[in-house]
Amino acid sequence: MKSPSLKIVIWFAAAAGMAVVTALSKLIGLNASTVGYVYLILVLLVSVSGGLLVGTVTSLVATLCYNFFFFPPLYTLTIAEPANWFALAAFLVSSVTVSRLVVAARVQAEKAEQRRTELETLYGLSIDLFTATNRVGALGEAAGRALKLLGAREGGLVLFEGSTYRQRVISWNGDRPDEIEDLIAGVGRHKASLEFPSPLGRDVYLPLNVGGITTGALVARGTEASKEALESAAKLVALAVERERFIEANAHVAALRESEALKTSLLRAISHDLTTPLTAITIRIGSLERRARGDRDMMEDVTTIAEETSRLRRRIDNLLAMAKLEAGKARPRPEPTPPGDLFRAVRENLPLVFGSRPVTVHVENDCPDANVDPSLALEILVNLVENAHHVSPFGATIELVARRHPLDAERLRFEVLDRGPGLPPGIVDAEGNVATETTDDAQRGLGLEIARSLAGAMGGSIGLAPRVGGGTIARIDLPAAPLPVEQEA
Amino acid sequence: MTLSNVILVVDDDPAIRDSLSKELRAAGYSTTTASDGAGALHLFQTSAPDLVLTDLSMPRSDGFELIAAIRATSRLPIIVLSVRGADADKVRALDLGADDFVTKPFSVAELLARIRAQLRRTTAPPSTALAFPDLTIDLDRRRVMQGGREVRLTPTEFSLLELLASNAGKPMFIEQIIARVWRSAPSTTADTVRVHMSALRKKIEPDPSDPHYIVTEPWVGYRFIAEPL
Repeated sequence: MKSPSLKIVIWFAAAAGMAVVTALSKLIGLNASTVGYVYLILVLLVSVSGGLLVGTVTSLVATLCYNFFFFPPLYTLTIAEPANWFALAAFLVSSVTVSRLVVAARVQAEKAEQRRTELETLYGLSIDLFTATNRVGALGEAAGRALKLLGAREGGLVLFEGSTYRQRVISWNGDRPDEIEDLIAGVGRHKASLEFPSPLGRDVYLPLNVGGITTGALVARGTEASKEALESAAKLVALAVERERFIEANAHVAALRESEALKTSLLRAISHDLTTPLTAITIRIGSLERRARGDRDMMEDVTTIAEETSRLRRRIDNLLAMAKLEAGKARPRPEPTPPGDLFRAVRENLPLVFGSRPVTVHVENDCPDANVDPSLALEILVNLVENAHHVSPFGATIELVARRHPLDAERLRFEVLDRGPGLPPGIVDAEGNVATETTDDAQRGLGLEIARSLAGAMGGSIGLAPRVGGGTIARIDLPAAPLPVEQEA
Repeated sequence: MTLSNVILVVDDDPAIRDSLSKELRAAGYSTTTASDGAGALHLFQTSAPDLVLTDLSMPRSDGFELIAAIRATSRLPIIVLSVRGADADKVRALDLGADDFVTKPFSVAELLARIRAQLRRTTAPPSTALAFPDLTIDLDRRRVMQGGREVRLTPTEFSLLELLASNAGKPMFIEQIIARVWRSAPSTTADTVRVHMSALRKKIEPDPSDPHYIVTEPWVGYRFIAEPL
């Protein structure tokens, strides 16, 4: 756009040019045809530098001067010869047409230049965004540079954080009145651009849309850049923002994967490195047992070592199982499991407990099978029976019972009944569950926690309740498998 | 048990290999050892063992390759020493042809019982009657006596019992049971097996709290646990 003073200068220059051409032509005595060409050149020059209006006015004035000074009768605006009417009309049409053509060509050239500048700016922006940046702050700097090159006097890049009213200004140039925040929020909500005329040009608010989601806005205030260029810049910035978010998320996922891989290899290493020496120890214990036959003291020692090794092995297994469940590396694999099978497995796993005190086992007739992961259910029972063994006085019976749940048809209840010191009165809740405090908590501690954790993983629960006559009842409620329907083959 | 039975022990850990060999020799077996599958395969071909006891995870030719190589030419009993939690490995080993597994760390007594069961199964002459403590199965007359009383079984239940008892000590996959008892009838599912198994167990187990004959083998199927007389 030309400044007003330049426009005035061009008007004066056009008038002066007209006067000079007319005077020189008269002075030299050029013939009418030559003068016509000179006037055309003047119109062409004025049109190139002044635009359509001054070019057209110059054409009309040149036609009048041509008639007044060079067509007889001279110094009048009348034309004597009819042929001169045609010459004058031809001149008028030619000069106006030339003026228009020249102006159109100049406008096209200006537009092409603007497009070229915009394309260069967008290319520079895309290079800035996709090769030179790997952080959100750098995106703001690149967007700021691009806005400046696109002629925006003020503006910047704003990103949304969760909602359109939680705005994070990445970069901003110039003033930022309060209403801008509302305008940006509106752009975010409607996912469409806003455009207003302003004293400096246009104010354009462009949403950063990728995949139907608006992540922020690009604001160009006081710009004359084409809407296409601004929208392209917004698209580039939106893609770059999305790319940054993707890179951040990817880095997070990669870190998680590494952490999971580390957990897995750690679990595997612990599992292997602890199991191998334990296996060797267990086999050696068998050898010692064989040699200790007949030596009561030594047999007692070997039995204690065997018992403690077995407990250690079980604790390692339990902790590994819990770690795997918590890390999502393993999931309970429930299958219909008869309670009798579990009790039998408990007996096999705790030969010393079953050998040192009476243990009674009872499965009620209508008791359904448990729908549980057999290995986890076994560990629950083993831990609770071990606890019962440690708190019960010598020779006292431990009772194991499996029955239908009294209230819930889709569950069954295992009970481990001991004659230990029992629970302090008054802390049993309405369902018979007790919090963590028990008189023999130190002995029940880890085993109870492991059992609770494993039961919880299978959708079950464990409660402790006082037993009539002294002692504790550990109740394990677990999902029941549907009872198979008997049929004749 | 035959005193001259040779057991091939395969484990990459020398402590386990040596202590196991020592215990097996103390129990009356001869042993030969290898630290990986390749060495074991060589010994299998040269020393003609009666049973193979193998770890699964070993450097240079693991237990799976060994099982597959042995099964290509022989029906020799193979017992796998598996690590707790590696259930997929256990099932894969059984699929490849292993006969049984024990989970590390195992007790020597349990291992010896499994070895005896496997050796007995392979050396026992074909019989028309299977006898276990308090349980006799007359295969010819298709009659079952438990604790001095006759137990009436349906034909399917009898076939189930016959299959499990004649493979006493060996874990049986549900798929194997369907293939053998139902001849892979398309409508047969794991639930069908469970229904019949539940009915069979109620009939032959004197005390459901303490099964003496058939137990559920987690994630595999069933195992007949009573030892033949």
